Amino acid sequence: MKTKIALTLLLTATATAALAGPIEEQIRFRQSAYSYLSWNTAKIKKQVVDHPETFNKDYVAAAANAIAAVANSGLGELYGEGTDQGTGWKQTRLKPEFFQKKAEVTTVANTFNEAANELAKVAATGDINAIKTQFGKVGESCKACHDLIRIKE
Amino acid sequence: MKVTVPVWDLPHRLFHWLLVASVIASYITAKIGGALIDWHGRLGIFILGLLVFRVLWGFIGSTHSRFATFFPTLGRIKAYLQGHWHGLGHNPLGALSVFALLAAVAVQVGTGLFANDDIAFNGPLNSLVDKAYSDQLTGWHTRTFYVLLGLVGLHLVALIYYRWVKKTNLITPMLTGKKELPASVAATLTPPQRSGLIRLALSLLISSSIAWGLAGGASTLNALSAPAPTPPPSAGF
Repeated sequence: MKTKIALTLLLTATATAALAGPIEEQIRFRQSAYSYLSWNTAKIKKQVVDHPETFNKDYVAAAANAIAAVANSGLGELYGEGTDQGTGWKQTRLKPEFFQKKAEVTTVANTFNEAANELAKVAATGDINAIKTQFGKVGESCKACHDLIRIKE
Repeated sequence: MKVTVPVWDLPHRLFHWLLVASVIASYITAKIGGALIDWHGRLGIFILGLLVFRVLWGFIGSTHSRFATFFPTLGRIKAYLQGHWHGLGHNPLGALSVFALLAAVAVQVGTGLFANDDIAFNGPLNSLVDKAYSDQLTGWHTRTFYVLLGLVGLHLVALIYYRWVKKTNLITPMLTGKKELPASVAATLTPPQRSGLIRLALSLLISSSIAWGLAGGASTLNALSAPAPTPPPSAGF
């Protein structure tokens, strides 16, 4: 009996140690993904919304493609069990409720994914007004997720 | 016999109702987000202009707009609570509420200047602070909003209390600028002093210049830090 308990404890400890790396890694990867997204949303914001006189179709399309690529990369993989606690580049702000809200999370995640892909499509046309409208929709989808599963500062 | 006496001048009333409208609008635009977040930012700058105007008007406006007229000193509050206060403008408790509301709006505007939404919006002075500090201020911007909401709630409860318990209508004077008083009471009050067009023009000029500077200044800063567009498929080096 005692050996069984000891063995279980040992296994648990080993498993935890093995997971510690991956958890931090998942958090770090997703934080990187979102900062890369924000670099690209800032580019579109500058050329489409704030300074339309600087609009460069190819530049904006490249940024939109980058956003779509991140959205299509399967970010959900970076939200494994236990990743509501831990420090990547900085401490994660994922709400623990994330794991109880799978259905809502799927909805907001898919909305973002669709909005991002549509943005890439619209950006390819170079129609600045259409890009601006779709860019607003992407922003709304970002916010929906932040409101749902991100701890406010 | 009742007479009507002037109490709130037109700029004061316009300030009040524009503030009401723009605070409501900024709440809605923040909640919806997306492209409307830019309007949230513009409204914030507009509210900042309103606040600057109100502070100036608190020194050079007409009698009942001036801070000195209604500043809630302990003596005044005591007199009011004992029923000895007889004035026309903000009573000492109302004055406390006025200063608290102005301070709460100032905190919202002040933190908003440096805030970011982690999507594609930065407050006009965001580039003056680092990201971590901006995130912190954004957190305060969200939390202190509830303080403002609480104060507005108190303000509305007070209005209802005055209307139904003290039988005093405070809303109509804020619309018409005039209060109805028994002639005997009105005779005991010193008539309020008017401000002037030059003072109004000066206040408007200063407040709108500051707001315009923030709105325009922000785009200048952005333009300076804008990268030269690099057409892909170049690697951008």
